Amino acid sequence: MNVTTTRKDLMIVNMGPHHPSMHGVLRLILTLDGEDVIDCEPILGYLHRGMEKIAENRTVIQYLPYVTRWDYLATMFTEAITVNGPEQLGNIQVPKRASYIRVIMLELSRIASHLLWLGPFMADIGAQTPFFYIFRERELVYDLFEAATGMRMMHNYFRIGGVAADLPYGWIDKCLDFCDYFLTAVSEYQKLITRNPIFLERVEGVGIIGPEEAINWGLSGPMLRASGIQWDLRKVDHYECYDELDWEIHWQKEGDSLARYLVRIGEMRESIKIIQQALEGIPGGPYENLETRCFARERDPEWNDFEYRFISKKPSPTFELPKQELYVRVEAPKGELGIFLIGDQSGFPWRWKIRPPGFINLQILPQLVKRMKLADIMTILGSIDIIMGEVDR
Amino acid sequence: MQGRLSAWLVKHGLVHRSLGFDYQGIETLQIKPEDWHSIAVILYVYGYNYLRSQCAYDVAPGGLLASVYHLTRIEYGVDQPEEVCIKVFAPRRNPRIPSVFWIWKSADFQERESYDMLGICYDTHPRLKRILMPETWIGWPLRKDYIAPNFYEIQDAH
Repeated sequence: MNVTTTRKDLMIVNMGPHHPSMHGVLRLILTLDGEDVIDCEPILGYLHRGMEKIAENRTVIQYLPYVTRWDYLATMFTEAITVNGPEQLGNIQVPKRASYIRVIMLELSRIASHLLWLGPFMADIGAQTPFFYIFRERELVYDLFEAATGMRMMHNYFRIGGVAADLPYGWIDKCLDFCDYFLTAVSEYQKLITRNPIFLERVEGVGIIGPEEAINWGLSGPMLRASGIQWDLRKVDHYECYDELDWEIHWQKEGDSLARYLVRIGEMRESIKIIQQALEGIPGGPYENLETRCFARERDPEWNDFEYRFISKKPSPTFELPKQELYVRVEAPKGELGIFLIGDQSGFPWRWKIRPPGFINLQILPQLVKRMKLADIMTILGSIDIIMGEVDR
Repeated sequence: MQGRLSAWLVKHGLVHRSLGFDYQGIETLQIKPEDWHSIAVILYVYGYNYLRSQCAYDVAPGGLLASVYHLTRIEYGVDQPEEVCIKVFAPRRNPRIPSVFWIWKSADFQERESYDMLGICYDTHPRLKRILMPETWIGWPLRKDYIAPNFYEIQDAH
């Protein structure tokens, strides 16, 4: 009897847009040879909402609720960068207290983002327990945010020239309590995860990126720092009041997924240090630079007449972006979040280009995944830390 | 007033035009599409090893399309890293610009996005297809003269 030899063809499998973990809608078309991955092609665009086109028709205040929907886990960074652009264009000084409040909020948001990275990362590897633990801590951060800004996630808190409202009475003590509790929580995660042999087997040596390769692919954030390059925009750019606080950059040399995990855990601890120093050193004073709200010029007075009342939407007098261009950036937890802003002499920008860290970090995925096993894809994808809201915008 | 990089390029006889400085003091240069691939290699050799961001915009409705590259040098222990912004202008009818994917790999998805949103074709890019819009979409959304299909605004009777 003839025994047919097994045909060796490559199998093309679709890891569809929906995923069990909270990755968002990312479609991967994998070409497999048994368990080995030959090639992988990511298909994006399932969450594209046209944020850049919308920005061309909104003033900065009108656009602020949109920006929290890019990276919906670290929302303060998106707001910070939306507000930093016009501030730099208009040479607006931010009062000291507002700067400290911003730093505290940004670092809390960084902790929140890293926590929600850790949960799905461990869930993909197979450990479901940390997923619940991180939500316990994240709820505490949500409570702090709700007390200060009014919303748990999509706070509309930052304004040009400062923040929208001052911290409520007693918030600082609650925040210090949270910091003390959180250090014990991080130690709990480290005891549970970091020396766990199953975790190390899954994660050590998987997805190695060398330093020159990391720079060439344009990576940023923990991915760059895990490959041995000590590049942190908070130290390089000297923005907000990070210079007055004493903290260091966490980095590792190996460049594999374990290194990225260690960098992020270290960053969480460092953020707590920054928050504690900022809370102790927060000055009094105004929380918003009210000079941005005084507009001397009266514009288009005839369109405010009685006969023109239903003609079109007339925005109220607002901050005008001068006809300059600017590239501002912040060190978001996922990487370098940047805005390339070309102003028109009007309330609306001419071009608002968002440089999302997840989008640029995702480019390296096809290369990292070649010659790896099928199970390593989720480890690598998890360690890149992407969020489709900002990848697709 | 010429920036440092502009002066260095002039010294080596490379054709470019200096567009002054943007609001933060970052030098901006304009390069022609024909010269871009050679000048890109020269900049990489000069030390700019990090392509921070590549975007494209519409200079004026009916005017040129611009492709903007922000380059930096990542080094250890540097305080204020040098940055430069390069703009390459392309005509609206047939916008073709050489791709810098083979020099800085971080241009991969970003050039695809500029192609998707504005229609600028990047020559020698390995996979130039639409990335954010569906592959069968017609039109270049971020151009100023783009009309969104099937979109009708409610208007008053008079």
